[in-house]
Amino acid sequence: MNLHLHDVSKVLHLIKKDLIVDWRQQNPITGILLYLSSTIFATYMAFEGFVSTEVWNALFWIILLFTSINAISKSFIQEERRSHYYFFLCKPNEIILAKLIYSFVYLFCIAIVSLIIYSILLGNPIINYSLFILNLTLGCVGLSGAFTMVSSIAFRSSNRSIMMAVLGFPVIIPVLILSISNSYKILDSYVFIQIQGNLTALFSVDVIIIALTFVLFPFTWKS
Amino acid sequence: MGYLLKTDWWKWLCVVLLTYTVIGGLLLPVPKLPILNETIRTLHFHVPMWFGMILLFLGSVIYAVKHLSGGNIKYDTYSVQLANMGIAFGVLGIVTGMIWANYTWGEPWSNDPKQNASAISLLIYLAYFVLRSSIQDEQQRNRISAVFNIFAFFLMIPLLFILPRMSDSLHPGNGGNPGFNAYDLDSNLRKVFYFAVIGWTLLGFWMATIATRLSLSKQKLEDA
Repeated sequence: MNLHLHDVSKVLHLIKKDLIVDWRQQNPITGILLYLSSTIFATYMAFEGFVSTEVWNALFWIILLFTSINAISKSFIQEERRSHYYFFLCKPNEIILAKLIYSFVYLFCIAIVSLIIYSILLGNPIINYSLFILNLTLGCVGLSGAFTMVSSIAFRSSNRSIMMAVLGFPVIIPVLILSISNSYKILDSYVFIQIQGNLTALFSVDVIIIALTFVLFPFTWKS
Repeated sequence: MGYLLKTDWWKWLCVVLLTYTVIGGLLLPVPKLPILNETIRTLHFHVPMWFGMILLFLGSVIYAVKHLSGGNIKYDTYSVQLANMGIAFGVLGIVTGMIWANYTWGEPWSNDPKQNASAISLLIYLAYFVLRSSIQDEQQRNRISAVFNIFAFFLMIPLLFILPRMSDSLHPGNGGNPGFNAYDLDSNLRKVFYFAVIGWTLLGFWMATIATRLSLSKQKLEDA
């Protein structure tokens, strides 16, 4: 892919556009934050008192999984009326790059907010913050990338919210099991060298997801 | 697939190999191993289902790529029918495996990485058919489902390498369980196993060609 300065500015404009749309509409982002808080609160009521580190970790990632599939499913579905307009204005490469960057930033912010609320209610067993955040970042790259691609596929089908889960969950399992097991090892005070292999594996899965997204997205876009 | 539709020497090969597999697999001597005993013969009937499934899915992905690059509608039919047959093989593999595991491991499902991987592959391709049925426009349906086919297949491959690292397998030959290491050395099992894999896979492709013919004729009738 050859990105010139002109294309970079287009990508930046597309990201800015997404930011402005979310800022003006406000109900999607408030909705997601409330969804997150009520899920965490329900978890807290259900699991209060017997949360071991293993359960803490698994629950955190499951909450993040459900939140992210809901948060990112909007990325193409909200474009319904605008898609013809971009079709003549931008190349599919620019659109998908902008979407990938925006959904990663969006999901990463959600993950940090959820980590804060979650650790206030259910305790905080994290010792090594830098390693935990590194693993969280890699996990977010995978989740946001795969769900952005799945969203562009589900966008064309008739029952979108069901299709997001049906298509998304089997595909996301490699990212999910790798990040859950890494994050449990980090909470179990492993150091970087001990989980280097697993982090590399997670990174490679992220690279595969992003590469496939770049190759395949243009085919879902032209119609 | 186009070649397979035209020729039939491989169908005779399939018949010969499967006759040999059924007779040889049930009657030839097998090594006496603890726990497995005579159930080791399931190697010729259960394991080839997975080889067949992966090869059929691979064929399906190849035709999905060809469909996206060339746009020939025939390739889409090939891709769908190969995926269909792959699911049939996967279901047979899971069912035979669960019956076997119920007697050998004491329970039909025991969180074995290979069991999980096969369940996930089936979920992916079942989702593929749900996706197909939920898109109305024909051209769009073919293209979008081909995209999902490729996307999911290339994420299924790393899964097959990652899952076994996460937990130990109960499967024979993994994690100190007897069986596969012995079969690697045992020429009696090998005499049948390789032919069984080829035979069952050919049967899968044979059935896929029949389903393809049926589907293509139905399309012709609809167009006429």
